[in-house]
Amino acid sequence: MNMTAPPRNNLVANTNRLEFEKTVLPHFDAAYNLARWLTRNTADADDVVQEAYMRAFKFFGGFNGGDGRSWMLRIVRNTCYSWLQKNRSSELVYELSEALYDDKNSGPEVELIENVERQWLRQKIEELPAPFREVIVLRDIEGMSYKEIASVTESPVGTVMSRLARGRERLQKQAGVDEAGGKR
Amino acid sequence: MNCNESRLLLSGYSDRELDPEQHREVETHIDDCSSCRDVHRRNVSISKALTHESFYYRAPADLRERVLASIDPLENDDAEKRSWWKSRPRLSWEWAVAFSLAVIVVMLAAWPVRSPSDDLANELVASHVRSLMADHVTDVASTDQHTVKPWFDGRLDFAPTVLDFAPQGFVLVGGRLDYVSNRPVAALVYKRRQHVINLFVFPEQGGLPASQGSMLKQGYNLIHWNRSGMTYWAVSDLNLEELTQLANLYQGGQ
Repeated sequence: MNMTAPPRNNLVANTNRLEFEKTVLPHFDAAYNLARWLTRNTADADDVVQEAYMRAFKFFGGFNGGDGRSWMLRIVRNTCYSWLQKNRSSELVYELSEALYDDKNSGPEVELIENVERQWLRQKIEELPAPFREVIVLRDIEGMSYKEIASVTESPVGTVMSRLARGRERLQKQAGVDEAGGKR
Repeated sequence: MNCNESRLLLSGYSDRELDPEQHREVETHIDDCSSCRDVHRRNVSISKALTHESFYYRAPADLRERVLASIDPLENDDAEKRSWWKSRPRLSWEWAVAFSLAVIVVMLAAWPVRSPSDDLANELVASHVRSLMADHVTDVASTDQHTVKPWFDGRLDFAPTVLDFAPQGFVLVGGRLDYVSNRPVAALVYKRRQHVINLFVFPEQGGLPASQGSMLKQGYNLIHWNRSGMTYWAVSDLNLEELTQLANLYQGGQ
């Protein structure tokens, strides 16, 4: 008995590391994308992703072999929220959209207009409260189903649907306000 | 249905997440109600705008390396916590024997429960993941089906049908030669937003289910079907609904 114990543990550790990499590494961009949208800046997204993967590795024993992307994004999301709570003050530091004038070597005019519109939309989404922002990011940018989003946010599918409805309505309302302001 | 009820369901409507009855009710309502129709249209255009790649923040290249490096000490910590680790030599005959025993036990435990199609599915998922991890998705990168198809000639003993569905949002990005189930296979590579789809094509083999079906493996959706002596497997982290859409488009175009 004493003889078999050590190698078994070692085998478990090795298989774990391999399984871990196979399960969560393919979702690295998805993890970063969510962290970047929730923290709203690149340096913090780096830190959150790093911490989330360390947590994921520690808790990998609790992974039940289901959907690796939802599992990983759930950890990224939780890490983001505890990070935001700890560093609430820096949430007030609002990064100005760095890509706004990216297109200096101006391409066709249409492309420029589209870029400005996208920039506007990006900013509006960043201004949404996190619970609305995250469902829009997971649905429209990550392309997840409501069921998968429910699993990431640990909330019922009905909540996902109503948050999406309210989040999108907020985006539209802001659009209306801006249009009215422009006419004046 | 009144406007308040409809507003809450409009998102589910445009995302095709409502049950058929609710879907019909919303459809009927927005046929009559122009203000809900406008909200729906704007929802759709927001969703569409967000599929542009500039909204998907890709991880910086070096971050993956840094993350993997930060996990290494954790692994060692774990090991050091166990006192037997320090007191025992690392490579003894005990290790070798017990390791082999453990491997045999694991293999015996895993073997009988796996069906041939399970094995194949695992192999295809591994192949899909490998193509993404090694950044080697395509051997021939082209959005032109007339470039991709001839490329396979002479490399395979069959001719896969190559179709592009860019207008429907599934862009053909190229093809790749892969090796699955002890034979060379064609992998057609499509992109939907940021999602990569591998469509594997190879001659039908015995022992596998003939009908169309789908399964979920390690968070990846798989759809398979057979047609004219060929087997098709689509693998992606894309949601099942959109992957089915591609499968239907492909079968419709064959």
